[in-house]
Formats: sequence, structure tokens, C-alpha cells
Amino acid sequence: MREIRAVMVGQPNVGKSSIINAISGARLHVGNFAGVTVEKKEVTFKRGEYEIDIVDLPGIYSLNAYTPEEHVAKNYLIEGEYDLIINVVDANVLQRNLILTLQLLDMRKRTVLVVNMVDEVEAQGGRIDGEMLSKLLGIPVVLTSAKEGRGVDELVDRIIETFQKERCDCEIYYHEKIEEEIEGLVEILLKSPHFNDRDLARFYTIRLLENDEDIYKIIHDLPIFLELHEALGESIRRLKLEFDAESVADIFADERSAIARSIVMQVVTLPRRESLTDRIDQILIHPIWGLPIFLLFMWLLFQVTFEVGSLPMEYIDQVVTNFAEWLRGILPPGDLNSVITDGVVPAVGAIIMFLPNILILFLGINLLEQTGYMARAAFLLDGFLKHFGLQGKAFIPLVSGFGCTVPAYMAARTLKNPKDRLITMLILGFMNCSARLPVYVLLIAAFFPTKSAGNILFTIYIGGALMGLVVAKILRKLLFKGEPEPFVMEMPPYRFPSLKVLAMELWIKTKLFIKKAGTFIAGAAMVIWFLSSYPLNGELRHSYEEKMAQATTQEERVRLQNELAARNLEYSYLGRIGKTIEPLFSPFGFDWRLSVAVVSGLAAKEVIVSTLATLYAVGEGGEESSTLISKLRENIDFKTAVALILIIMIYSPCVAAMSTFYSEVPQWAWRAFYTIYPNILAWIAAFTAYRLLALLGY
Amino acid sequence: MRVSEMKIGESGIIERVTAPEPIKGRLFAMGVSKGNRLRLLDHTLKKETWEVEVEGTRIALRREEAEGIEVRQ
Repeated sequence: MREIRAVMVGQPNVGKSSIINAISGARLHVGNFAGVTVEKKEVTFKRGEYEIDIVDLPGIYSLNAYTPEEHVAKNYLIEGEYDLIINVVDANVLQRNLILTLQLLDMRKRTVLVVNMVDEVEAQGGRIDGEMLSKLLGIPVVLTSAKEGRGVDELVDRIIETFQKERCDCEIYYHEKIEEEIEGLVEILLKSPHFNDRDLARFYTIRLLENDEDIYKIIHDLPIFLELHEALGESIRRLKLEFDAESVADIFADERSAIARSIVMQVVTLPRRESLTDRIDQILIHPIWGLPIFLLFMWLLFQVTFEVGSLPMEYIDQVVTNFAEWLRGILPPGDLNSVITDGVVPAVGAIIMFLPNILILFLGINLLEQTGYMARAAFLLDGFLKHFGLQGKAFIPLVSGFGCTVPAYMAARTLKNPKDRLITMLILGFMNCSARLPVYVLLIAAFFPTKSAGNILFTIYIGGALMGLVVAKILRKLLFKGEPEPFVMEMPPYRFPSLKVLAMELWIKTKLFIKKAGTFIAGAAMVIWFLSSYPLNGELRHSYEEKMAQATTQEERVRLQNELAARNLEYSYLGRIGKTIEPLFSPFGFDWRLSVAVVSGLAAKEVIVSTLATLYAVGEGGEESSTLISKLRENIDFKTAVALILIIMIYSPCVAAMSTFYSEVPQWAWRAFYTIYPNILAWIAAFTAYRLLALLGY
Repeated sequence: MRVSEMKIGESGIIERVTAPEPIKGRLFAMGVSKGNRLRLLDHTLKKETWEVEVEGTRIALRREEAEGIEVRQ
């Protein structure tokens, strides 16, 4: 058995995933590239005496890496260990795709060209001459249609054939003046004893002429660097003069563009006519109707997410509760029993409950992405979001944030520019997630007149979103200034989504999500449980047990039970923490109980309601609990309540969301900033509101 | 003539692309380079965002980029 290691490269939206799916018997592994949160898909399969392993690199437009994905792909191409390249191109836009192909061929590695979606060209009455294309480029060409499963077996045969060859027979050369300069520089590079590969030297030289910093770093330590650097400067000067160009990168761009154009003229016959995409676009991104149609789509997506997603919620809740009860029965009584049945299982259950919402939201977002509508939404909204230093695509994570911040952070991956992505992620917490709803409902019921409740709730949501946009603007001004954020985006043609790919994406999401709930959230729940249950106060318990024994009515006993729970909580580590942090919150009227409630909200926002209920000793309290409402009214005044609402709107999201942010953003400085700034902002907002209201006499 | 001066539906051959570096490279990679045919498909109401088609690829750009692309009709 011999192993063939291949990498699959192509521009975005050329159908690489579909080709991988179409290879029968292939086993897919999904992981991350080392050190970055860029998804790495890998397949292995056997054919004859070969075991073929294909790594699917992220889609890249060119080797001039710009986004994190492109850096990963480029590094892998340059430094990774593999035998051959599978370059996938879209037959519909062959000319543009060939520019990347030409850059890849500069490497002179063994390469197979896959011209995918050839069925779409043929459906329009066009034709692509694969043999001619192969002759012009000097590499094997396979015409495929992943949708129809066409050409996939031939691709595997070509991979094996190409592997058996010694080297690439690539025939592409640039203008003779450019080749002369390349030749001269290659000779200098080859003087270096570390360097004996002429093909690699040619590739490095071309990249250096194009001012590729990554290659500069590699070359920098070679002993011939000084000589090379000087010669390179001379070559660049001569070329710029000869071609009357601003940079050598421009010259290469023109060269490749010209080569691609001439190749396409020779191999493609395609009658151009108004495509379906043009006609759909005339409606969907119409200057006037585009926006309302878009808003309708979004409204539908969120309706479905929350309406359909909430259907299995109760069922899941019931299953989790039953499971906890069952465990309580079979585990030996004691701490282990309590930590699992009171701490871990309900906490993990509370998160699993959101799985249907999250899956539906992701399905919707994936559908938008795959059909090509996402790019249109970004197009429509870019003008508005630009005013706040954000990009059109930021819209998707921002809207997802109203559902749950966790998937919203993940949705921010659609933003390829690291700065745009970071700003967006930093303000996602301002989009009030659905978990905060019960808290708002409770506080509004307690402190505002019933007839304006709806308006207050709406104000909170809109206020949060506006605050987020303003903060984005400030962040852009203060922390991310200077550099431009280009909005040059491909608008892919509309396509029917592939159900197989959709199902696979959903399955991957589900697996990752359950894994996280089972590890991280379970751990956090254990910590909270421990803090609120220890240390035990035997004396207190004893005295209450006596009182309860003397109690005459059931009501009395319940009241004492609740009081005991509250006293125990006050005595626990969590209570002590509350007392310790109380001074921090006292400037806006919080006592230790409110302080603890706010801190417990870091575990999950809904927890604030149950914590308030426990701390104000009214037993199990939901948001409609009138006793809790009257207790709150007795203990908290209006301005404190407003301060509390502001705190909940602004301060750090729950630990699940925070850990998602940490795993998406590797830089410690940003993690620290993200952890601190919302809390400072929340404190200032609460303090200001409290003092203003006090001045106004509330 | 700059792309930002074109009317929806008009087309021309690209003569010159001026833009700062990361954007320029991205434009080239999408096929916006000298000699290719460009057609203006759409722009938003306030002309902030533009959609052009170059050799079969549709591309969204902002006003700044549209001002940096010159075409010959």
C-alpha cells in the first residue's frame, strides 16, 4: 500500500466540498489547522494499491494572502508536506480561476486541474475543451460535475497517474524580459548551499519580485541574502521601467490576466446571455425593494428559529429532568449525587435545550450562504453599517446575537477580515440574547406600569443594538484606526443548495456543540454548585430543623425551608463572595444579594431570576411569580432596578459565550480586553443612570 | 471614465486600476485587471455600494473602489 498525499486548492465557491463528498467511500475528518480556528477537512480512501489522503484547504482567491484562511492555505502550500496539488476551478468563471492556477503553477509541483460545474456551462449551450486546456497548461485536466457525479472516478485515476510522474510538465512562461530577470535571480539563489531545487528557486524569485513578505522571511537568513537583495532591487527597477508599471506585482497581474484570457479564448465556447442570476438579482437587490425583501427573509428566519426551535424545548427539559431523577435514584446519596443531579445535569440540560434553536439558525444561515443570498444581504447593508465602522457581512452575526451569543460568535467567521471580525465579536454582547428575556420580563413587571411593558422591552432591545453600533464606531476610531477595510466581495451566482453538504455541516455543528456542553459547561456547573453549597453550616441547619418540627402549618414549613436555603446561601462561598463584592455595586444601591445575582448571571443569564428568587427566599420563582415581584418591590427601589437592567444589558455575557469568544480569538490581549471593558462600561452606565434618577427625585 | 460615473447596464474595457495594496491584489484576483470587460449591474440607492460584472464574475465594491477603476467604452 503506497500513500499519496494531496492538497485541494481553489477559489471560494468552486464546489471543493461537493467533490470531496462525491468521492465514494471517502472518510471525512474535520479538525482545525494547528493553532488557528480555521477548519481543516481531510479525507482518506483506498484505490487499488494506493491510499489517497486529501487535505481540503480553505478557499483562496490568490497567493497574496490577506485573510486568516488565506494565510493558512498559503503556509500549507509552501511549507506543508504533500505529493501533489488538486486545483479545483469553476467552469463558469474559468478565466478568473485560472489566475490562481497560474500562481500555483509557478511552484512547478505536480498538479491536477479539476474543471468543476462543467454541466452548468453545457446547460447554457457552452463547451470546454479539456484536452486543449491540458495541452496549453501542461498538466492533466479533468472535467467534472460533482452534482452529477461526473468525472470523479477519472479524477482519482489522474491523481494516481500524476503521482507516478517525477515532476510537473508545466508549460507556462511569462514575457521573455520577465523570464530573463527570473533566470538571473535564480542563479544567485542556487549559489546558496541550502538551495538546489531550481523549480523552488524560480517560485521564490517570482514571489520575491511580487514583494511577498512571507518568502522574504524565509530568504532573509540565507548567506546570499545581501547579494540577492541588491540584484532583486535592480531587477524590479528594470522591469518597472520596461513595462511602465507601478510595481512588479502589477506586471505579473497583467501577465497572468492576459495568459488566462488567451487560454479561455482557445478552450471555452460559451454563448453569453442574461443568466437566471441576473434576473433574480434585479429583484433581490433592487435599489428600492431589496431592503424590504431582505428584512422579510430575516423576520421569517427568526420566526422559524424561535417558533419551531421552541417546540422540542419542553420535551428536552422533561427528558433531562427525568434523567436527573433517575440518576438521583441509582447513585449513592451524598455529594457526588448532588453535584451531578443538582449541578451538572440541569446545567448541561439547559444548554442542550437551545440545540434546536441553534441548529435551525445555522441551517438558515448555511442556506443563505450556499444559495448565494448572504453576499446580497451584505451588499444591501454595507452602506448603513459602514457608518459604524462595520462591514455588510457583520449583519449576520449581529442578528444571530438576538438569539444566542454563542452561535453569533461562530457566525462571525463569515467575516474574513480579522479586524472586522474582532470588532463585530466585541459588540455582539450588546445584542440582547434570548436568555436575558426572562430577567427583563421580571424586572419590567415589578417596576414599570403594565401598559408600557412592551415598549420598555422594545426600548431595551433597540437600545442595546444602538449602543453596540456606537461602541463599534468608537472601537474603530480608537483601536483599529488607520488601516482600510476593503469591501471587495464576490457575488456568487444563485445555486440550489446541496442537501448532502447541508446535512454534513449540521452534523459537524451538533457534534461540536454537544462536546462543548459535555466538557466546559459541565465543569462550570460543578464550580457554581460547589460555591453555593459549601461550606455547610450544621448549627444553622439544626436550629431550622427544630423550628420546622414545631411548625404547625405546611405554609410555615415552606417558609422556613426557604429561609434556611437563603441563610445557607449567605453562609456559602458564593454568599461570602457577594459580601466581598458588595462595595463594588453599592454606589448604585445593590446589596449583596443583587451583587450575587449579577455575578451568577455570568453562568447563564436565566440564572439571575432563580438566584433572585432563592436570595429573596420565596422558593421556586418564575418570571410570573407575584410573590417575587412584591418582594423585589419591597427591597429594591426604581433607580436601582434601572441600574440593574443596564448592568444586564451591557456586562459580560455568560461563560458559554465567553469561552466561545476565547476559542475563536487566540490573542490574549483581546481576550483580556473583551473580559474587562463591558463590565467597566456597564458600571459607568449603571452609576450614571442611578445618579441622574436620584437627582430627578426618583 | 470611472466606474463610479457609469450608468447601470453600461460596460467598458478596464484601462487602469488604482487602489491601495490589499484591495488592489484582491481586485486582480477577482479578474478586475487591464483588458477585461466590466459591466455595471447595480448600485444601492445612495450609491455607496456597487455591483459590477467582470468576465462572468459579479463583484460588490464600495464607492472608493469604484472611483479607482477606469474603463474605456
